[in-house]
Amino acid sequence: MLTMNHLAKVYRTEVVETYALRDFNIDVKEGEFVAVTGPSGSGKTTFLTIAGLLETFTGGEYHLDGMEVSKLDDNARSRIRNEKIGFIFQAFNLIPDLNVFDNVEVPLRYRGMKAAERKQRIMDALERVGLASRAKHYPAELSGGQQQRVAIARALAGSPRLLLADEPTGNLDTQMARGVMELLEEIHREGATIVMVTHDPELAARAQRNVHVIDGQVVDLTEEPRFHSQTSHA
Amino acid sequence: MPMDILPILASLRRHKVTAILLILEIALTCAIVCNAVFLIGLRLDRIHTPSGVADNELIMVRMSNIGGRSDVRARTLEDLAALRGIPGVRSAAILAQTPFGYSGTTSSIKLSSDQKLPTISYVSTYFGEGVVNAFGLELVQGRDFSADEYHWLQDLNLGLPGSSPRSVIVTEAVAKRLFPDGNALGKDVYIYDEPSRVIGIVRHLVTSQEWVPGQEDYSMILPMRVSPDAGMGGTYVMRTSPDQRDRVLDAAVAKLKGLDPRRVLTQKSTLEKQRATFFSADRATAGWLIATCAALLVVTALGIVGLGSFWVAQRRRQIGVRRALGARRVDILRYFQTENFLLATFGIVLGMGMAYGISLFLVLQYELPRLPAHYLPMGAVLLWLLGQGAVLSPALRAASVPPVVATRG
Ligand SMILES: Nc1ncnc2c1ncn2[C@@H]1O[C@H](COP(=O)(O)OP(=O)(O)O)[C@@H](O)[C@H]1O
Ligand SMILES: [Mg+2]
Repeated sequence: MLTMNHLAKVYRTEVVETYALRDFNIDVKEGEFVAVTGPSGSGKTTFLTIAGLLETFTGGEYHLDGMEVSKLDDNARSRIRNEKIGFIFQAFNLIPDLNVFDNVEVPLRYRGMKAAERKQRIMDALERVGLASRAKHYPAELSGGQQQRVAIARALAGSPRLLLADEPTGNLDTQMARGVMELLEEIHREGATIVMVTHDPELAARAQRNVHVIDGQVVDLTEEPRFHSQTSHA
Repeated sequence: MPMDILPILASLRRHKVTAILLILEIALTCAIVCNAVFLIGLRLDRIHTPSGVADNELIMVRMSNIGGRSDVRARTLEDLAALRGIPGVRSAAILAQTPFGYSGTTSSIKLSSDQKLPTISYVSTYFGEGVVNAFGLELVQGRDFSADEYHWLQDLNLGLPGSSPRSVIVTEAVAKRLFPDGNALGKDVYIYDEPSRVIGIVRHLVTSQEWVPGQEDYSMILPMRVSPDAGMGGTYVMRTSPDQRDRVLDAAVAKLKGLDPRRVLTQKSTLEKQRATFFSADRATAGWLIATCAALLVVTALGIVGLGSFWVAQRRRQIGVRRALGARRVDILRYFQTENFLLATFGIVLGMGMAYGISLFLVLQYELPRLPAHYLPMGAVLLWLLGQGAVLSPALRAASVPPVVATRG
């Protein structure tokens, strides 16, 4: 589904070059639920923005669903974001001027979907996150947990194959976080591929697989202890 | 539909005060500009009133005699002969009235001697031998006066028998007004007690003094000879080529002074200058109205740019989110263009009502003509274009917000 080989991302300013990602390799299979962990500033968000085609990369290769991403122009990237990818952000990122219904509708309108189908999908998605009764509410009238569930509904409404979540529970208390996590697990069971960046080890443990990022590189946590035990034998 | 309007309206409803202020600004601009453009048009129409005469070729010299003179008629013919001798002079005549002057003579015309109310009143009347040639008028029907048709104006004023004009040349406007359904040529009309026959019709001849709107061409010419001391006096009118006017003017004054040094020069001017002076108030008013319109349009455009920029900055995050959710650059561009179009449309609709109100006020208060309806769609198009032009730069800035803003803020 998502394969990165020797991917590099350099942020250049006048003064410094920051290697946010270097020789970054990852392979996420269709239907997997991967949690990405790592210290702050290690490059997790950078990985997710590149994976979600929000940003370009500096070197290496990235294949998404069989397509070579570096070959896509801006409009093609927009279309893929719209049709194949659902985003869930730490800061919810609902549009404050639009009510819940209109917020969930945003990606569907960019897809040029007919009004009847849009309405059906919006109400289905809101039903799933348990907020159908709040369709006419504005984001400011909802709790953080409810807002994040609206954001999930917005990501789900377009039935994306890939769901990318950047610390989706980072701004929520434990109970709300648990609710969001259960929702993600349910979505995963229904077949979506999920890549979730998280700080929370408890949440990470509930994913099928953990990927640890340090200093812009994926580190294999499963092999490391073996490596250590071998050296201790020697 | 290129961009869905409902969510834009929904979003605007959350910024009511700002949106309403901008709508009011657009409405006021639309209303004032519609009326101002109409008023400017009226002034410009006036300024460009066709005179019928050779505006750029005519020069005028007026002298006033000190003390009476006995042989004034003979002296006048001598003056004219001398003026015709100046190189570059194509024609010279002495006329009692000139176009765009501040004074003139008006007469009324009846179609029969026993008619109580005249068919047409206040027709500007030109006296002088050779008016058609001197002014360079375009004769569309009939002929010019022949030499034996002329009488001395002074004799007419004294009521001498046989001195009243038996022929007249009128403008097309006068002919049409006198005989709306037929040809005026050859018909008898009554200006004095005895009938005068219409022997010629000229295309245009502007009145010699201020006119009632729509009657700028209400003029006629009577076959009367003029001399400097004949009641209203006389102006020497010469025709020359435009680039020789100043030189010929100087030469003419010198010639006339040479023939009789006791004369005092009271006017020395080109018709072009006289025309410009006549319309100077109109030009000033038009200029002031144009400046007002320009200022209003600039202020409104700046308002749109300012508010647009503010909204783009304020919505930077949500633009990034929209991009992340699949909006193309062009979708973002269209969002702001559509939003502006909607605001402008509300403003224009309101502005049309206000324009009508302002017009009504001007009609009642200043007896100005009513704003013609076609100025409203014109104003609408102008403000739509202004809005789209002004919002383009903020909208392009919005379209260039990268999608990564959604994660990085
Ligand atoms: N736009 C940017 N310009 C310069 N440096 C950046 C930019 N975005 C991120 N970085 C740097 O890249 C590194 C990785 O950042 P990030 O991916 O946000 O880490 P994480 O999400 O793991 O906290 C950090 O050193 C950060 O300062
Ligand atoms: Mg991060």
